[in-house]
Amino acid sequence: MNEQIIWIILKRLRTPFLVIIVTFAISILGLVLIPGTDGNGNPYQMTFFDAFYFVTYMASTIGFGEAPYTFNYEQRMWVSFAIYFTVIGWFYGIGAIVSLIQDDALRKALSRNSFLNQVKRINQPFYIILGYNGITKSIIDRLNGKDYRIVVLEKDEEKIDELILENFYPNVPAFVGDATNQKMLKIAGIHQKNCAGIISLFGDDMVNSKIATISQLLNKKIDIIVKATSKQQVEHFKSMNLKHVKNPFDIISKRIYYGITAPHIWLLEMWMYGHVLKLKNRDKFPKGRYIIYGNGRLGTAIEEGLKKAGVEYVIQDFDTKKYIKRKNTTIFGDEEDMASLEKLQVKESVCIIAATQNDLINLTIINRAKQLNPDISTMARENSLDDLNIFQASKINKIYVVERILADATYNYIARPLADLFIMEARKKDDTWAEVIINMLHNITGKNPTYFETKIDDAHAYALTRKLSEGEQITLSNLRRSRENREELLHIVYLLLKRGEEIYLMPNGSMPLQLGDELLIVSDEENYDDFEYIVNNIYELEYVLGFSANS
Amino acid sequence: MNMHKIISGSFFILAMTVNFGFFYGDPTILIEHSSYELFAAIVVNLIATVLKLGDRTQLGAVLLATSIVADIQLIASATVWAFAEYIVKDVGTEAATAIVSLSGGALLANIVSVILFIADTIKSKR
Repeated sequence: MNEQIIWIILKRLRTPFLVIIVTFAISILGLVLIPGTDGNGNPYQMTFFDAFYFVTYMASTIGFGEAPYTFNYEQRMWVSFAIYFTVIGWFYGIGAIVSLIQDDALRKALSRNSFLNQVKRINQPFYIILGYNGITKSIIDRLNGKDYRIVVLEKDEEKIDELILENFYPNVPAFVGDATNQKMLKIAGIHQKNCAGIISLFGDDMVNSKIATISQLLNKKIDIIVKATSKQQVEHFKSMNLKHVKNPFDIISKRIYYGITAPHIWLLEMWMYGHVLKLKNRDKFPKGRYIIYGNGRLGTAIEEGLKKAGVEYVIQDFDTKKYIKRKNTTIFGDEEDMASLEKLQVKESVCIIAATQNDLINLTIINRAKQLNPDISTMARENSLDDLNIFQASKINKIYVVERILADATYNYIARPLADLFIMEARKKDDTWAEVIINMLHNITGKNPTYFETKIDDAHAYALTRKLSEGEQITLSNLRRSRENREELLHIVYLLLKRGEEIYLMPNGSMPLQLGDELLIVSDEENYDDFEYIVNNIYELEYVLGFSANS
Repeated sequence: MNMHKIISGSFFILAMTVNFGFFYGDPTILIEHSSYELFAAIVVNLIATVLKLGDRTQLGAVLLATSIVADIQLIASATVWAFAEYIVKDVGTEAATAIVSLSGGALLANIVSVILFIADTIKSKR
């Protein structure tokens, strides 16, 4: 790529160079040919060196004076011509070089070059994110710099400028380019050994599918995380052997199902996504009749969840575009609309879900429904992230932002793989199991615990790794001791242990640890800090394991 | 036939011929080698070099390389001349031979360049 820059410069500088050479040559030749006069009035012929020296400083407007002797009038006449001649040539040359710096083609080549270098210099594993928008930004915010770096490809130059203004640290290399072009993917480093994967969450399934196909051909080893919004698409991706297909509507449908049938499993899942570990009243899915307003992709997904949960519901047909065209408004609630709400028996229902594709319509549907039935529980789809404040202010029980769900799911898959596993395992259990777990977590780790993932290896548990490789037998409960007083317990819970392909949900405390085990630990910051000290510091570890200071 | 080809071709050949004009003659006698001709050779060679800029083909790169060699040789020749004249203040036989033989080297480079140029022309199908 360096080559290209040099060629662009050379090509552009051709004319300025020619102009400078020709003007210099003519001026020099003139000075040599015109007879001069030396200090004593004798005739004197300027040599080429004298002339070259004089013209060089004349043309660059430095002007040291007439050399080697004061000029006579013939020479001065020539020089006054040559000044205009060479100075114009010189300025043209300089101007051409300056304008070259602003040249579009050169700037593109330069930015491409710096992007390439930035990507090459990344030595951590990195993900290529295609498209920069609200979803991908929230992924970058959380993922960048932790264990992974991010590279962004985006079609729109303005969005790239936006990204640069965000000042991500560490820097997120970004480049303007069409993500479906394999050349661009290569530039973004898809061939690199440390490329961990590619994230493609475009709204258009066709684009995602194209990217998935190209990426798989280019590099078989990387993770391909794609969005799919329909069943056929999911099937298609599965047939391509892609494991990480994210269907936001499927996630919503499952959440509704678990929210109704097993609220504690739902809570555990939501907690993994950043919800507090407490079932608030407004979070509870009421029992009774549901109304789904809008039968788009979200509406259908919700319907599926409700049907599976065995809940009574009605679904109302609603075409946002036609509605706006017909009534020329985005405010829902004229007489006809009210009549349709009445017909849906709002007064006899417990929950209304506004799932149309227009935020304002969703809000007004909820408002109208509340007028008719003040006790009704409300859920709404929010389409654009900008309107979040209005939605929060309007006291809707549940807000579904498809984009955010997608971003969270992607982030958890990449950065919190054990949490993902835990959710899958927990779904196989029943609600009482989940309730017991939640109570236990509350008792041991407080009202609002967080979770951590760690691995028994050199980087994460230095001391423990050393002890284990010496052949020491260390169990999970051995480590659950305070480093201030080993008789006391550390407030942590082992939620899940992953050993190779095997998964132990709520592992037994007497289970001996092995190298390479991955642990999902629930705790607060302070206790987890202590745990990290214990597994990393050999003295802390020996104290906790009960070695006396003398032995 | 295109104008750019005619102009650049004539400069490539002119660079060689002017260079030969300066080189031709007894190398020990500087009177036989005109300083004007050396000046012309340098200017024409520089122009030829610039005309070869920006050609991305393999041949273009080799042509540019030969031209740069000729430039270096000719400028070295002029530098030796100026040095002998103003610093040593005596252009003896040794300096004269150096000046002429440096331009001889440039001539070789120019001949290579012209041969490549002609070869390319013959090879072209039109």
